[in-house]
Amino acid sequence: MITITVNGKQHQVDADPNMPLLWVIRDVIGLTGTKYGCGVAQCGACVVHLNGDAVRSCVTKLSRAAGQQVITIEGLSENNNHPAQVAWNEENVPQCGYCHSGQIMSAAVLLKENSNPSDADIDSAMAGNICRCGTYQRIRKAIHLAAELQRKEAASK
Amino acid sequence: MSTSNISRRNFLRAAGLTGTALFVGLYFSSNAEEAKLATADSAMASDIEMNAWIHIDTNGKVTIFSHRAEMGQGAYQSVPQIVAEELEVNLKDINIRFAQGNREKYGNQVTGGSSTIRGSYKNLLKLGASARVMLISAAAAKWSVPTSECYAQSGHVLHRPSGKKFHYGELVEAASKLEAPKDIVLKNRSDYKLIGKPLARLDTPLKTNGVAVFGLDFKLPGMLYAVVERNPRLRGKLKSFDASAALKVPGVKKVFKIQTGVFQTFRDGVAVVADSTWAAIQGRKALTIEWDDTGFDHVNTADIYKKQNELINNEEGLSARKQGDPDSILSAATQKLDVVYETPYQSHSAMEPLNCVAFYQADKLEIWGPIQAPEWVQDYICAQFKLPKEKVIVNMTFLGGGFGRKAFMDYPHEACLISKETGTPVQVVWTREDDMTQGPYRAGITYRCQGAIQDGQISALKFRMAGQNIGHWQGAPKDKPNRSTTEGFLAPYYKSIQHISFSDIPFETPIPNVWWRSVYASTNGFAFESLLNEMAHLAKKDPLDFRRAYLREEREQKLIDKLEEVSGWKSKKNGDGFGVAITECFSTTVGQIVKVSRKADGKIRIDQVWAVVDCGWYVNPDIIHAQVEGSVLMALGAATTHQITFKDGLVEQRNFYNYPMPRINDMPLLEVHIMENDANAGGVGEPGLPPFAPALTAAIFDLTGKRIRKLPFDMSNI
Amino acid sequence: MKHQIKIPVKAFAVVSVLLMTVGIMAFALHSDDKKSKVHASMLPVVKKDSIASVKAFKQVYTVLTSARCMNCHPSGNIPLQGDDSHLHTMSPQRGIDGKGVYAMKCSNCHQPTNTPGLHTPPGNPNWHLPPANMKMVFQGRTPRQLAEQLIDPKQNGHKDLKKLIEHADDGLVLSGWNPGEGRKLPPMSHAAFKKAWITWLTTGAYAPKGK
Repeated sequence: MITITVNGKQHQVDADPNMPLLWVIRDVIGLTGTKYGCGVAQCGACVVHLNGDAVRSCVTKLSRAAGQQVITIEGLSENNNHPAQVAWNEENVPQCGYCHSGQIMSAAVLLKENSNPSDADIDSAMAGNICRCGTYQRIRKAIHLAAELQRKEAASK
Repeated sequence: MSTSNISRRNFLRAAGLTGTALFVGLYFSSNAEEAKLATADSAMASDIEMNAWIHIDTNGKVTIFSHRAEMGQGAYQSVPQIVAEELEVNLKDINIRFAQGNREKYGNQVTGGSSTIRGSYKNLLKLGASARVMLISAAAAKWSVPTSECYAQSGHVLHRPSGKKFHYGELVEAASKLEAPKDIVLKNRSDYKLIGKPLARLDTPLKTNGVAVFGLDFKLPGMLYAVVERNPRLRGKLKSFDASAALKVPGVKKVFKIQTGVFQTFRDGVAVVADSTWAAIQGRKALTIEWDDTGFDHVNTADIYKKQNELINNEEGLSARKQGDPDSILSAATQKLDVVYETPYQSHSAMEPLNCVAFYQADKLEIWGPIQAPEWVQDYICAQFKLPKEKVIVNMTFLGGGFGRKAFMDYPHEACLISKETGTPVQVVWTREDDMTQGPYRAGITYRCQGAIQDGQISALKFRMAGQNIGHWQGAPKDKPNRSTTEGFLAPYYKSIQHISFSDIPFETPIPNVWWRSVYASTNGFAFESLLNEMAHLAKKDPLDFRRAYLREEREQKLIDKLEEVSGWKSKKNGDGFGVAITECFSTTVGQIVKVSRKADGKIRIDQVWAVVDCGWYVNPDIIHAQVEGSVLMALGAATTHQITFKDGLVEQRNFYNYPMPRINDMPLLEVHIMENDANAGGVGEPGLPPFAPALTAAIFDLTGKRIRKLPFDMSNI
Repeated sequence: MKHQIKIPVKAFAVVSVLLMTVGIMAFALHSDDKKSKVHASMLPVVKKDSIASVKAFKQVYTVLTSARCMNCHPSGNIPLQGDDSHLHTMSPQRGIDGKGVYAMKCSNCHQPTNTPGLHTPPGNPNWHLPPANMKMVFQGRTPRQLAEQLIDPKQNGHKDLKKLIEHADDGLVLSGWNPGEGRKLPPMSHAAFKKAWITWLTTGAYAPKGK
């Protein structure tokens, strides 16, 4: 049994410690917001936060997450209201939508570490996430908007 | 706008998911282009269960069904947006559901050919309007007032003089007893509240918090997971396999041979079923398999193109379209071009790899998956398992991209075969490697393009293409030309150029192929428009003015004017390379201008792309913008970063590491403009793709004088 | 389909012997570069031997400029990738600490151990590039440039001879000889490399002539 905490909830997982976190989250715990896209850390569809970092769950073994804090897209915000989620809706970013769990989880780390990212910062943070539908231009706009929303939120506190 | 071709017999019926409800549906008789409103009576009389696009329950909750797949192109939004407009309900107040696959109920549900809106919008408008009319009639009867004093708004019927109102739920029962209206007056476009507006997509919130259920996310109690080791040579057979090691992998339940249909052939594979995807993948790695790879060619990419080159240089092929006598003109001409363009094989590589859930039970076989063509799946599965249609239920989930590949029946077939064997619900999961190495692919086509110039004018055009024909895989006669040979070519050229011919030289390989976003226009467009650009250069004409001279119809003239205006074509600066291309497919014309320049690091980059879209009547301009953004990016990848190649019958690309996708830092700045007119709706999911590559290569020529006639090419090395 | 690669873990007894016996001797780097001489006193030498030293460095150079070492010592801020040392796909950035930035930190993909399979991220618990203030560029360096850079504490991460010698057994250096499936190994074994490395350093750390 391996204990991991996903979205604040502890799970006792009876699985091979070598099983990628992706399949633990999807098939064992049953949270399907985190997507399988390539299995080899090329596309970013599987990004989750492991202790706050945007790890690729398809190559992260369950053993690495043991006893650690995992946040998936389902746990990013209470009500689809993380600044990135709000901005993604505002800018109508998704098309097929499959990659966007990973896109948003990557963007959330960028926004946490940089309150006013430049276009170059966005490239540096987001070039690991593939979108086959071509929503990149909107992702860029949405991240700028999310940063603005986040700054306003911070200022109002 | 008035219409009266709704059948008199047609009516509504009361039924419902929650008590009394109003169902309004369209009934498509199998060959009718126009749909008819279905009624309970007529439906029963003809023994056809009534289908429904609209469901209103007694609480006034409106559910609108989308009969087409949602794969990113926006059907989930735009089908309800059309119905809701005439029904007079707010989009925020409705539920949207995917309809199940059923040709008799919904007519053509194949989500391909950019056909959802252009194929259904007129019927969908009538559908919404007739329900509205009946609800108004019901209210007027209750109030004993003339219907002319009543109107519908935001899910209510209001009585103008008194201000009284009913919500639709209060009228459902009465409306359901009324006859369908004979004549329906549709709203004027200028009165639209929803159509034509860039409304936010209703699926967006579901796609930002992990709630949207894609095929891979669909789970049933007791469901097992399967992966399949398939012959990597696509056409090879299974000789033997040893499952003993695989069966020892914890979680693996069962290992067996399956044969999945791929067009008229079968693909051999070994299925590994386990209690998690990961366990199935581990079990698969432990398999020992011997394949029989005899009896078919082990193709190499170089050989395919060598052969196609021989064909276009030595054969005339099957004439697909011909006017005048281009051969005579060409042989007499002194100013002429004779060039070859080459396009690569491509994989669809949707971000969601293929997958499907099936549950084969004694009384029914139910399928859930990312499916573009539910009724094709139903037909195919019925035939394969010898089951009647009522026993095969096909459910569409959200699709994580489709691009044509998911309008194919092999992966649902696999899921059904495996579920039948295990007796449990099963999800078959294709790994990225499976998805990329198993095809079917877009075929790589070679073109020989000839053109003659006389007195600065085009006097003849001759196009020959050699490559695989998708139709042949589906049983199309091999002595007939590929019916897509001219796809992408602009119709006005036929009027202004007297001598034109197109021919197709079929070429077969064991590699199956299938439509890929914009289908043959995706490769034809590169050849046609590249030749036009080369001819403009030969004639010493500006490429935009050159086209203006031949595309003399009003819509094309306006589109060219718009392209010129938005791009600053005429105010080009030194060091800018500008290129243009215009193509038409699925009843929509798209022109694109690409601007490139050489940067400080010596590399050429795209500064901006301008796209002008003429799709006639449209629903949601923001979705059109998004589709063009996506089409341009997909075209950029296919032109500059990836291709599928074969070596000894094996596909060389396996995952994004050797089929590299453009990333956010590769996305060019793109501006999209939509032409306004009242022409019939055209498609928008695909037509934005074909003009990009020829416009890009033209821009590079403009900057460097270097012609690129073979795709893909390396942008970093020009 | 697993390719197990054995890591040569035999510690070189000679290292400890050398470290005990070498004294602080005069700097003997064969160099006209005045800047290098500043650090002369930091480099103890067993026995100056310019021929043996340069010969050893030539071996060292082939290793350091092989993909396994050079890919993480790029001239720019994006690591290199693959046996052909192309720019790392998806353009991850060095970052201040060499561990990447934002959602593109090295350890987001590079796990504590190699991920099984071809073209999967190789792993190490300490996967990183040299930091932004000490880039230790190998890519594009001539043998002479690289030799001078390696023994210059201002450019080598403030390493003295002892630390330089120890660095041959650094976990991340060693992972170059455990690169994951399908990747080419450095041109010689780790033992041979380490022998050449120590020979070069302890015979005077002579830089080859030329540019």
